[in-house]
Amino acid sequence: MTLEPLLLSAKLAFCTMVLIPLLAFPPAYFLAFGKCRGKSILDALITLPMVIPPTVLGFGLLILMTPTGAVGSTWKSLTGDRLIFSFAGILFASLVFNLPFAVQPLRASFEKLDKRLLESAAVLGLSPFQTFYRVVLPNCVSGIVASSILVFAHSLGEFGVILMVGGSIPGRTQVASIAIFEAVEALRYDDAIYMSAALVPVCFVFLIVINAVNGRQQS
Amino acid sequence: MKLLLTLMMVLCVSLPAHAQAADLVIAQAANFMPAMKEIIPAFEKETGLKVQATYTSTGKLYGQIINGAPFDLFLAADTRRPEKLFTDDLAMEPFIYAKGRIVLWTLNKKLCATPWKEAIQSPAVTHVAIANTETAPYGTVAKIALENEQLWTTIQPKLAIGQSISQVFQYVATGSADAGFCAYSYMFTPEGKNGCFVQVKEAPKVIQKACILKSSENKQAAQKFVTFLSSSTVTAIKNKYGYE
Repeated sequence: MTLEPLLLSAKLAFCTMVLIPLLAFPPAYFLAFGKCRGKSILDALITLPMVIPPTVLGFGLLILMTPTGAVGSTWKSLTGDRLIFSFAGILFASLVFNLPFAVQPLRASFEKLDKRLLESAAVLGLSPFQTFYRVVLPNCVSGIVASSILVFAHSLGEFGVILMVGGSIPGRTQVASIAIFEAVEALRYDDAIYMSAALVPVCFVFLIVINAVNGRQQS
Repeated sequence: MKLLLTLMMVLCVSLPAHAQAADLVIAQAANFMPAMKEIIPAFEKETGLKVQATYTSTGKLYGQIINGAPFDLFLAADTRRPEKLFTDDLAMEPFIYAKGRIVLWTLNKKLCATPWKEAIQSPAVTHVAIANTETAPYGTVAKIALENEQLWTTIQPKLAIGQSISQVFQYVATGSADAGFCAYSYMFTPEGKNGCFVQVKEAPKVIQKACILKSSENKQAAQKFVTFLSSSTVTAIKNKYGYE
């Protein structure tokens, strides 16, 4: 019974970590190499979820994710389901919330790239996509690993945003942080301690596994 | 740089001085908020004392109180927690200050033409919001009503849980949930009037007790507020928001 929220948190963190590169790579690449006036505005926009209070972000997302909201109605017309109070909904919130945490390390590692590598690639006639795939990516593994680890750990502890949009539904949106909060509220301290104590080793083991996988890739 | 540091120091020292300390800090169960928003200004006008209130679920407030939160007065949404504070010697003798009830609130006017049991089971309703049944007494009575009608298990897949009755209200108000078990008092607010409600007669009345906390350093002010609660001014406000 108390295991369910822990597994759900792990699932949310894992899904966020797997999906976030799709969202984070293009802006990180643009911020690192792009040359245009709007760069600082985009930068501020992407970093915004990092600085505004999670409850403010959560309330904004709640408005967007309702069945009549911009994102919620699009989702409903695509899938026929509601986005709010669903796992897909907290995953969407988690992706928005984690975007700056994924973009910043990636951008830093792109910027550290030796410019001559990119110039050689261009001279040798590689297309921008090939350059990215064959030159940039292999040279930025450490940045990608840093960003994945950060996003995973960050998703496990997510609280304020999910509290606003999740609706605390067991098995669907009641993640560990919410379950622990509710256990403390209901004075079920044993449950709270049990879940908290379980969460730390779970996080630890996950990170060890990710590190091992990444380490193998690098060698 | 020096100038900046000086400025920061000045700000740090002077900012808290602007925050006026309250004469009375009240822990208030969320359901009573609409009424309290009128009671507090009336009390302040009459006594000149400054009141500060925190609105959230009764369970959360109880947890904060036993962990030493600096409240003077606790206005709960049940009898159990004030009684427990009293038996644990943390509060003075509790007294009843209001009797409330739950209603099923929705923005979908068609739903109000049917009894609540049919309304929540209608295909038009994907999500029903309910307050945390462990920590929010208004959630507890909603659960009792559902259990009495053998609907508790049936309705599980539709339930979305709010941390307090005000979050339930927010879920319905934003259209996230199609209906929700809300406090009757919220029906008298401008936002509440945007929707319609159905009475839930099967739910027990919510007997709400209050108590002055023994740790309070403003017992006189708290006592004044308690006296004020039985005045005709407050009775009128309570009636206006559907409390007995």
